[in-house]
Amino acid sequence: MQNIDAINSEIIERPAVNYLNNGYSLKSWLLTRDHKRIAMLYLASVSFFFMLGGIFAGLIRLELLTPQSDLLESASYNKVFTAHGVIMVFLFLIPAIPATLGNFLIPLMIGAKDLAFPRINLLSWYLYMSGAAVAAYALLQGGVDTGWTFYAPYSTTFSNGYVVATGLGAFIIGFSSILTGLNFIVTVHTMRAPGMTWFRLPLFVWAHYATSLIMILGTPVVAITILLLALERLAKVGIFDPAIGGDPILFQHLFWFYSHPAVYIMILPSMGVISELIANFSRKRIFGYEFVAFSSIAIAVIGFIVWGHHLFVSGQSIYAGLVFSFLTMVVAIPSAVKTFNWTATLYKGSISWDTPMLYALGFLGLFLVGGLTGLFLGTAGLDIHLSDTYFIVAHFHYIMVGGTVMGYLGGIHFWWSKMTGREYSEFWGKVSAMVVFIGFNLLFFPQFILGYMGMPRRYASYPEELQVLNIFSTAGASVLGVGFIMPVFYLVHSLFFGKKAADNPWLLPGLEWRTASPPITENFESTPIVTWEAYEFGEESGLHTEEARRTTLAPTA
Amino acid sequence: MATNVSAHEHHYHPPGLQHQFEDMGQQQESASIGMWMFLAQEIMFFGGLFTAYLVFRAKFPMAFAAGSNHLDIYWGTGNTVVLIVSSLTMALAVHYAQLGKRMAQVLCIILTMILGATFLGVKAVEYTAKYNEGIVPVTGLNRRTPAGEAQAPVETAGEHKTGATEHAYHNPKGEFQWTDASLAKKAEDAGYLTSAEKAGYYANGVLDANKFRDKVRIFYWIYFAMTGLHALHMIVGLGLMAWLLWKAWLGTYTADYYSPVEMSGLYWHFVDIVWIFLFPLLYLLGRHFGGGH
Amino acid sequence: MIMQQNSWIPLFPEQASSFASEVDYLYFFILAVTLFFGIGCAVVIFFFAVKYREKEKFGRGADIHGSMVLEVTWTIIPFVISMIIFIFGAVVFYNLYRPPADTMDIYVVGKQWMWKFQHGTGQREINELHVPAGRRIKLVMTTEDVIHDVYIPAFRTKADVVPGRYSTLWFEATKPGKYHLYCAEYCGLNHSGMRGSVIVMPQNEFDNWLSGNTSGQTPVEAGRDLFENKLGCASCHAGGANQRGAKLEGLFGTDVKLVGGQTVKATDEYIRNSIINPGAQVVEGYQPIMPTFKGQVTEEQLVSLVAYIKSLGGNGSANMTSTAAPTAPAATGSPTTGGTTPANTAANRQGSNPNAPKNQPEPANSNR
Repeated sequence: MQNIDAINSEIIERPAVNYLNNGYSLKSWLLTRDHKRIAMLYLASVSFFFMLGGIFAGLIRLELLTPQSDLLESASYNKVFTAHGVIMVFLFLIPAIPATLGNFLIPLMIGAKDLAFPRINLLSWYLYMSGAAVAAYALLQGGVDTGWTFYAPYSTTFSNGYVVATGLGAFIIGFSSILTGLNFIVTVHTMRAPGMTWFRLPLFVWAHYATSLIMILGTPVVAITILLLALERLAKVGIFDPAIGGDPILFQHLFWFYSHPAVYIMILPSMGVISELIANFSRKRIFGYEFVAFSSIAIAVIGFIVWGHHLFVSGQSIYAGLVFSFLTMVVAIPSAVKTFNWTATLYKGSISWDTPMLYALGFLGLFLVGGLTGLFLGTAGLDIHLSDTYFIVAHFHYIMVGGTVMGYLGGIHFWWSKMTGREYSEFWGKVSAMVVFIGFNLLFFPQFILGYMGMPRRYASYPEELQVLNIFSTAGASVLGVGFIMPVFYLVHSLFFGKKAADNPWLLPGLEWRTASPPITENFESTPIVTWEAYEFGEESGLHTEEARRTTLAPTA
Repeated sequence: MATNVSAHEHHYHPPGLQHQFEDMGQQQESASIGMWMFLAQEIMFFGGLFTAYLVFRAKFPMAFAAGSNHLDIYWGTGNTVVLIVSSLTMALAVHYAQLGKRMAQVLCIILTMILGATFLGVKAVEYTAKYNEGIVPVTGLNRRTPAGEAQAPVETAGEHKTGATEHAYHNPKGEFQWTDASLAKKAEDAGYLTSAEKAGYYANGVLDANKFRDKVRIFYWIYFAMTGLHALHMIVGLGLMAWLLWKAWLGTYTADYYSPVEMSGLYWHFVDIVWIFLFPLLYLLGRHFGGGH
Repeated sequence: MIMQQNSWIPLFPEQASSFASEVDYLYFFILAVTLFFGIGCAVVIFFFAVKYREKEKFGRGADIHGSMVLEVTWTIIPFVISMIIFIFGAVVFYNLYRPPADTMDIYVVGKQWMWKFQHGTGQREINELHVPAGRRIKLVMTTEDVIHDVYIPAFRTKADVVPGRYSTLWFEATKPGKYHLYCAEYCGLNHSGMRGSVIVMPQNEFDNWLSGNTSGQTPVEAGRDLFENKLGCASCHAGGANQRGAKLEGLFGTDVKLVGGQTVKATDEYIRNSIINPGAQVVEGYQPIMPTFKGQVTEEQLVSLVAYIKSLGGNGSANMTSTAAPTAPAATGSPTTGGTTPANTAANRQGSNPNAPKNQPEPANSNR
């Protein structure tokens, strides 16, 4: 083993121009076609909407501190939880990891200069922002009170909110998502560097490939459904109106045909991030690479045929309910396989407990709870009691926050030095990871009990005996809020005052670590040729030469 | 250890090669997969409407037949022929682009555009007829005929003559008008109205023209949604063609670089194929119930 | 005094129906399985994370690629376990959603934002439902506006109530007490106010409650009143051999031959449809001359009419509580006054007519 300190004392010369400092004008950002810059645009906007959605979440928890509806009237409360849902689902969770980390990393990981269609990539960001603007307009005009699910006939006939404007926003954002997925699929097919075979791809890329399939095949269906809903509301044609022959349950079927797979759009990329973190921080090959890769595809495919488990109590036939319950059990298996493989990867690793790994371990803990409580809900007989209660709320937050947000934060910490060329404070990173974990559990664990007690969701007021658990939950929300705000400070601080990062601070084999931090616009000085398997830490990876260590470890001036 | 291929070795940079690609083959393949993926999402997009069509046609077959029979089959057939021929000229345009024949290419693109515009023109004629007859399913989007000025419908070529008198209406608010429930009556007499249909059509124990009208309205709503969306795709296609025409005129496309022509062709054929499904579903189904010409 | 609580933090809802314990067994079974696997996994992860913590910076983990045996094992074992859970759950699901034959029916109409109940024996209640313990009860439910959902946590059951159709929910309460009743499907402004309670009484107390509170008409009586006087159904449907309308005596539960040769069973749904859509299913041998009553009868009146027609006999009418003593005519007249009571008032004393008009603003139904 070489003396690392000795290497660190050297200063390596690096290209003076990288993707961040090759232009500072507003135009150089707003008209950029560089996937890395577009990823940074997405990172800023997605994080902004996460904060906004978080504020609404805080309002919800504050209102639920007391059993009466006192802080917010029901009317405001309904708009607040709808805003929370719409912002978090459409503006944060769906684009969160694919549009930021995926956009930034997929070309780097496969050794390409950019995504296949850079202009379409930029277009997708503009569509996202336009959709967000339309949704924000609806919010400012007075909001919408249908819940993010827009169930007919409430949304078509009875609601006074800005349903059409909000729907239009979701419609536009949907196309942004479709274009991102299309770009990823083509890029993975055609842009891989020489030697980067399908089974050498990092699992992050596999996860995004599966996600992109859902984006392309699912999103158009919800787009047309929202269109039908808007036309129904405007023109009263009777598609969803039982009074003139329509069917409100048809809306639920069409809606969940997309919106259940959408859950996998949210979680699959995060699973990809976790695969990277677990393998890289254990410094060994992932256990059962093919099984982790194909379980992503299996989740994407089976995920398309389980939507009916959202309709167990809605009056669909008993037999349909049983079939969907069965399929839901089946879709749980690939997730279980992934979890077991991650666990096995840790075995005999050389595990470092850096901040990203803490997030990954936190993910495993929370995803275990979230995934296993999914079994309760997929079980038709038990779901009758649990559906539309806080048990559901707790379950999907364990998946969406415990899964997606933990993956998002873990990934941002992991690749922060690559994206910005700076190091954040490891101490504060570890503190925030632990605060998030503790706050999250305090916030959502009591909600499982509340749910089994029978507290329905979307309630502004509730029976008094349930107050104690709600107080715990709100206390947890405060802790979680602190945990989420901390990274904003120390990450932004690092941008200006952080230590300059090395190209490959952890000495990892992935292609993204074999270029400068931050990378040059073309990503690589020359097209790399891949001769090693994914997560190869052995001799074949070329990481053990003196030269590799020097060029990858030493910070720059 | 990773070895590297120098990026600066290839000095020849073919025209039309974008910076992110290594060579024309990669660019070509990317464009091709990208277009197929785009078409896959288009299929799912139209798929939602086809689902709605199937659900409601299964529920109210007679209303759908009545609405379908009233569509103009001559214009519809003519348009189908126009589109099929345009697919041929489009395919020829791709062919000549591959051969690098500039004028033949330009000619084929122009022909395709003329045919596409013809299709849209016919569609406009059909839509205008619907507007005049008062069978646009959105209140206010029909010709307004104030009370006291009740008039016969504006005759359009190939229009139904059978119900000339029934159109003598006044329609001050521009509402959806449909009085002809004869097909449902016929089906009732023959005894093949389903109970779901009866629940939909009957009031006061008898066939109710207004209730029947509401179901026909659903048909026309789906007709306008589907053909409207299709026409929108045609308009986008014409825009693409105009751009292609300009580039082809400049001689951009050669045997080495013709993928924009090929991709636009894929799109054009897709839009044609959607019509090939729309035409029988909207114009032909239900003809055998005898309401046609 | 809702739900006696023994502990400071409520951890578990009361069991008050025949299948509460069934659902809870299922719950505890899955809980045990998931705790076993969850804690097992977490312990292993934690153990590995500590035990294999790096000894040197940039060390190298063992060169392990995977194991087919392990992969197959941990695919098949979870699959088998999930199938066991599925089958257990399927049985419970089936039991919960398949009402038995011998039920006592109670009619439920949801409306933004209140529940109206109508007992077979005359009581009308709003947001409060009295039921006897030890009796199988079926709620026959519909709604006047948006989708609602009847949810009684202590009974571990719920079902959506969808406009334009009847849905059902059955249970057998086992333990007297007062339990929460919620609307569990988001229904607009005052969704969280759309809740009430279910009061389970021993049979004798329930009988007392019934007999002491009979100021309203029974649905059967209300239905007869509508049938004979208010809607004039009797002019066609009662009159003996030459009546113009189909014969209704003994109709319920039987198979009806329709014009066109089809046969349908005379269910709640069929009778309801025949009133609002008479032409849809015309009985063989009769002319389709009946006018529709859609828009002229409220959901509650429909419920009464259906109850009355059931009381005229037939295969399925045995479950109607025809034991009700004849009751005094309604003092408050028509059960169909348009006003509604605010959903949350405690003013719904037992037996008072819940439909007395009050100045309740109609829900905002803007068609914007």
